[in-house]
Amino acid sequence: MPAEPLPQFLSSVKLKYVKLGYQYVMNNMLTFLLIPVMVAIVLEALKLDPDELVALWRSLGFNALHTLCTVFLIIIIATAYFMSRPRPVYLVDYACFKPARNCRVPFATFLEHARLMPFFDEKSVRFQVRILERSGLGEETCLPPANHYIPPNSSMEAARAEAELVIFSAIDELIAKTGIKPKDVDILVVNCSLFSPTPSLSAMIVNKYKLRSNILSFNLSGMGCSAGLISVDLARDLLQAHPNSYALVVSTEIITPNYYAGNERAMLLPNCLFRMGAAAVLLSNRRRERGRAKYRLLHVVRTHKGADDRAYRCVYEEEDGDGNSGISLSKDLMAIAGEALRTNITTVGPLVLPATEQLRFLVSLVARRLGARGWKPYIPDFKKAFEHFCIHAGGRAVIDELQRSLGLSAANVEASRMALHRFGNTSSSSLWYELGYIEAKGRMRRGDRVWMIGFGSGFKCNSAVWRCLRTVNTPVDGPWSECIHRYPVHIPEVVKLL
Amino acid sequence: MVPSLSDEAMGVELEKSAVYGHKFSTVVPAEATGDAVTRELTNMDLIMKLHYLRAVYYFKQSEVVDGLAITDLKEPMFPWLNVYYPVTGRIRTEAGSRPLIKCNDCGLRIIEAKCSRTLEEWLSVEDSSRWRPLVPEKVLGPELHFSPLVYIQFTRFKCGGMAIGYSWAHLLGDAVSATNCINLWGKFLKGNPSLETLRLSNHQKKAESPAKHVKAPQKPVPVKQVKLAGECWQAPDTCKMATCSFKIAETDLKKMQGEKQNHVPPFAMISALIWKCLAKNGNDRESKSATICRNSTSLKSSDMLTNNLKASTITLDSSAANIDLLELATLILKHELDELESIDELIDRNSGKPDFVLYGANLTFIDMEGIDLYGLELKGQTPVQVDYNIDGIGDEGAVLVLQGRGRTDLTGSIQERTVMVTLPEDQINQLRGVLSSEFGIA
Repeated sequence: MPAEPLPQFLSSVKLKYVKLGYQYVMNNMLTFLLIPVMVAIVLEALKLDPDELVALWRSLGFNALHTLCTVFLIIIIATAYFMSRPRPVYLVDYACFKPARNCRVPFATFLEHARLMPFFDEKSVRFQVRILERSGLGEETCLPPANHYIPPNSSMEAARAEAELVIFSAIDELIAKTGIKPKDVDILVVNCSLFSPTPSLSAMIVNKYKLRSNILSFNLSGMGCSAGLISVDLARDLLQAHPNSYALVVSTEIITPNYYAGNERAMLLPNCLFRMGAAAVLLSNRRRERGRAKYRLLHVVRTHKGADDRAYRCVYEEEDGDGNSGISLSKDLMAIAGEALRTNITTVGPLVLPATEQLRFLVSLVARRLGARGWKPYIPDFKKAFEHFCIHAGGRAVIDELQRSLGLSAANVEASRMALHRFGNTSSSSLWYELGYIEAKGRMRRGDRVWMIGFGSGFKCNSAVWRCLRTVNTPVDGPWSECIHRYPVHIPEVVKLL
Repeated sequence: MVPSLSDEAMGVELEKSAVYGHKFSTVVPAEATGDAVTRELTNMDLIMKLHYLRAVYYFKQSEVVDGLAITDLKEPMFPWLNVYYPVTGRIRTEAGSRPLIKCNDCGLRIIEAKCSRTLEEWLSVEDSSRWRPLVPEKVLGPELHFSPLVYIQFTRFKCGGMAIGYSWAHLLGDAVSATNCINLWGKFLKGNPSLETLRLSNHQKKAESPAKHVKAPQKPVPVKQVKLAGECWQAPDTCKMATCSFKIAETDLKKMQGEKQNHVPPFAMISALIWKCLAKNGNDRESKSATICRNSTSLKSSDMLTNNLKASTITLDSSAANIDLLELATLILKHELDELESIDELIDRNSGKPDFVLYGANLTFIDMEGIDLYGLELKGQTPVQVDYNIDGIGDEGAVLVLQGRGRTDLTGSIQERTVMVTLPEDQINQLRGVLSSEFGIA
């Protein structure tokens, strides 16, 4: 019997190296084809005498004019080519709101408040207990001060106070990190789905930081949890049209005005999962920022499934029977998320996957189309395309579903799980908290590629691909700086609360 | 002139409606305490569980007080509760097992309210129940799992002054612990205090003690067993209790002693005084025995949260009315107080039952002189007045002797004592009558 396992091991090792070699060759096919050709030409040229080379040149019958025109032509074509290429978009740096200690809400407090609220009945309280036990959140998540009241104070004044607290704190930190002067910001994009006052949050930022009067400001509201990547996409397009600019992108979600005060189960989930958070990101297309920028934006792919009625209604803000408004999440949310993801990766795949994976996918697709039995749909291995994954921390179920459908390991989704545990579901800014986790752990190296996936109402699935331009050294100053040494933590399936 | 009862009652009612606009919120410790941290309740804690300390600190209007918004008041509470995390826990009682505190960071309840009177008007009412609307009257229960142990109420007066009401469940600790706790909050409000001297004892389950060697016969513990009415941890009130308070200056007490060399301290004098007056009432409730209670300030336990009381009962041969004032005072002074170790035999180790009251089991005199009541500072400003009381006192009544606020007068500095008396209603008026007629007080 001891002889049996050994051959298996040997054979698997050999196979592994064969596979690696094959992948390397296929991914760099063009290089492998060109090298022999170029070597052949150079060898040929070396065989000839210098005189013969000159004679060859003369025989082609070029004179000065021809040469000059040819050179000009080449220059013009090259210029046109370089001008028409998209400008690179660099992420200079980003900063996340660090929740203040006076906003913390432990589980016990949340549940006691739920019990004391006059509008919740027994069943609703028990439901919220069950949700919280299985949510994957930790004891340090934060709610705005207005939500610490019984009942919560959802006035507009309190909502504005929360917005000012989270947004200004994130932007102040970003200014400290990058040294940018407010007057240098050319483009401002703010996204906050559920709170949309007049004047807008972008106007609030312009007012506070005294931004220029010719600033291009945009305020995206109502676009759900994936709006962070939509803002980045908008900023990128604007940076194509405006050379030498800085774009400030602010992603947040304001919790104060959105506490659901009724008893519909489908609408109680956001109360339990959403927490305070904000992120401010500085993008630029200036060449000189390349030296200090952290990341470069490679691709943004947006997928909108709103044409399908089921997808459109799966995250829906409405009033319940008693007139309380809240966001209703339908039961097939996970299935719809899976479909949206599949559509998204159909577009992302060819942009990022190495040639081997694409070939395998193509072969599998063709085979299935031709009717060959036994060919299961091949899910490309995205671990070969990316070193890091930032999956929107919408809830434990979302992360589990994505881990399963993409075939990711626990280490790949660790950033998402830990961000959910420490900060809760901070909606559109959660991707930036996750990126902060990876950096704080010292795992971000130069050349690493990051895939950010966001989901949101609509139903939308948006992806962004970044490449790291410089290794990020620890310790990193950010929302994780005080607690990173405690992570990763083991998050039990069910936390017994009562 | 003794105000009539109906006027007094009306005064209280008016005051209740003068406080309005209550808003409830919670503060928690800044950092997570951790999973499954519990605090065992000692036998002493369980004896005190039906008592609640209620304090109200009055602050005059000033720039400092005006500048303190509710967020400024709440902000230092978070690091403060990191230190005192058990006060944010909740009681856990499994059927048939001993109650304990689960330190789950559930929090303190904070109440904000407004008052339509000015601070002057409020303090001018010498009515002893004036503090009632300013501090929550809550007890533990009926849902013990969701009952906060400590409440703090901030009431803003029309003039800008503020009252801080502080309700503390006695099972957490005695009045010394409670006052040190809130005083630390005042220090956090001012800046970052040094925390080296603070220590929380690890209240672990007491190991099975081996059979004790026979000691000298223990004195009986001055507690009375009661039966709880319903789910709340509240002593059943069989007769209506009322409170009254008055101030006595040290100089007046010295005058009563005459020219004697041995100077009897104020607490003994005041206790003897009131005992005599009550005995003089001549009703059938002859109090021949009384309990003296003192908070232990011994240095051996620098524990932050502890019920460290010494108490024992004095039994007189004849009625207190027949004994000379000074003699009675000396008796009280010399009476040795007991460490109450024998309570371990009273309480069942496993269930924590039965339920007892300590204050009010007999007529109880509680010495609270050593407590730093005026040590709560709001950025350097001290309170102009502190009202203090204990809820859940038994039928025999209790007398609290507290440090008064030192004043300076033309004659020099005046030290006084504030005395708060809780007794059955009918006895209160008679007591007042006797005090004013015979001794010229109140």
